[in-house]
Amino acid sequence: MTTGLECISVSKHFGAVKAVNDVSFEVPPGALHTVIGPNGAGKTTLFNCITSELKPTSGEVRFEGHVISGRKTHELPVFGVARSFQRTSIFSNLTVAQNVWVSAFRAFAGTRVEVLRPADAHPEVTETIYQTLEEVGLDRYANSPATELAHGDQRLLDFAIALAPKPKLLLLDEPTAGLSRSDTQRVMHLIESLKGRYTIVLIEHKMDVVMRISDRITVMYFGEVLAEGTPQEIRANPKVREAYLGRRA
Amino acid sequence: MQKLFSLPSLIVIALLIVGLPFVQRPVVAAEVLTLGIAAVATNLLLGYTGMLSFGQALFFGVGAYCAGVLATKYGISAFLAIPVAMLFSAVIAFLIGLVCVRRSGLYFIMITFAFNQMVFFIAYSWTTMTGGEDGLPGVRRPPLIDDQWSFYIFTVLVFICALCVMKLFVNSPTGRILQAIRDNPGRAAATGHDVGRYKLIAFVMAGMFTGLAGAIFAFVFGIVPIDKVDWRFSGDIVFMTLLGGSGSFIGPVIGAAFYTWLQETVSHYWDRWPMILGIVFALVVLFFRTGVAGMAEVLTGKLTQKGAGAKPKEMEAGS
Repeated sequence: MTTGLECISVSKHFGAVKAVNDVSFEVPPGALHTVIGPNGAGKTTLFNCITSELKPTSGEVRFEGHVISGRKTHELPVFGVARSFQRTSIFSNLTVAQNVWVSAFRAFAGTRVEVLRPADAHPEVTETIYQTLEEVGLDRYANSPATELAHGDQRLLDFAIALAPKPKLLLLDEPTAGLSRSDTQRVMHLIESLKGRYTIVLIEHKMDVVMRISDRITVMYFGEVLAEGTPQEIRANPKVREAYLGRRA
Repeated sequence: MQKLFSLPSLIVIALLIVGLPFVQRPVVAAEVLTLGIAAVATNLLLGYTGMLSFGQALFFGVGAYCAGVLATKYGISAFLAIPVAMLFSAVIAFLIGLVCVRRSGLYFIMITFAFNQMVFFIAYSWTTMTGGEDGLPGVRRPPLIDDQWSFYIFTVLVFICALCVMKLFVNSPTGRILQAIRDNPGRAAATGHDVGRYKLIAFVMAGMFTGLAGAIFAFVFGIVPIDKVDWRFSGDIVFMTLLGGSGSFIGPVIGAAFYTWLQETVSHYWDRWPMILGIVFALVVLFFRTGVAGMAEVLTGKLTQKGAGAKPKEMEAGS
């Protein structure tokens, strides 16, 4: 199967409010696709439809041909789908390594419930944890409590939890939201280093950060697709300039 | 296999087991240990999974009545009645858990409370089986553990086994996933863990071991009093757990010991002893959220200058 992610006429209506209306796009394997739009454009609602947090009113989302929308959230990792969270979402009372363990163990053991061995008894899982922490640059904090990490490092830990199961599709919801300039740089460098190895869908608010790294961009405006194209096409699109860039340029 | 308990925990457990029967009568010491099992089991839900069950007396009562009825009506030995009662509690916990774990927060508390009331009224009305208001008397210990010292030793053995099994459970992958669910259920689900299923597992474990505690309790004083299935006793178990410290594994045992001490000692001098309980509880909730165990940890941390400022939940996470 060579198809990556397909959003097929996805709509999500809350009563009369069409938060997302008939949004379609395709992301080939290994590509980085960004969805941008002003506040309230429906980006996060769309994201939640892709991650099965919400059930689309109509339309569906497929990955590698399998329908992944309208499922239970805990079923998505089975399809090789992982997500990060807009507001850093970690396990605050566990250590950094234990945080990554939660997703790494799931990938290793499947849905098997294990009670007879200690949690850290699997060297394969431990190896995955340290590889992942090294990749995001947190290996020296492995045994620190997650809450003691700096704000930016916590976001990287959030990434590590998503990366440890070695997913095929990464869904990133405003990964730089609320980060300082230097932390934003670190996160963007990380995303760049992941590019090509994963199919990535990025939801972003900050235009400048996505232009450089995206393969294609979908611009949303009031729940609908305003434009889709390469960063150059989007930059040149007059409708986009008016709706979005106009206020900044 | 990794070391199961930390040294301070081992010292506390050893001191309790050896010291208790000299401070209290051996039967009361045995009562403390059974309540300790129930409190540690309840903490599997409260401290490790973040579920406040207000229905633990239900399982304590089910275990106690089951063992008591088997012993009095069918003449079955405690050695068989106790494990049967434990399994029976697990089955009941599974059935009730199927309904309860679908809800969280306040709704979970209320639904466990509702089931507790339901079972209470069954016990209250079914007088031919449970003795109703008068309780179920005449629960005899087998000859081997009939005198109070041998019974105490028996209780100690069950206590140690129960603690080891629960600690292994907490240290296992399942135990860690429960802690992840406690910290962040949404993220735990997004990483692929079926939150409802794991909550049910925690609920059954807690119900089973609370039932075990109840089953032993039936043989402590030879009677199953109805107030052990009353909702107020659910509150008492939660009280013991919080007082001892829900952030530590053995903390609830200390809470159970303190609770029983108050009840046994202070109640002789002052009928209004629950008032002291209330005041202590308010102080703990206001100033020592981590309970006795958390306080002890902070103190030893200050003394040794290394664990200072450690947060309570990490105490077990690292072992």
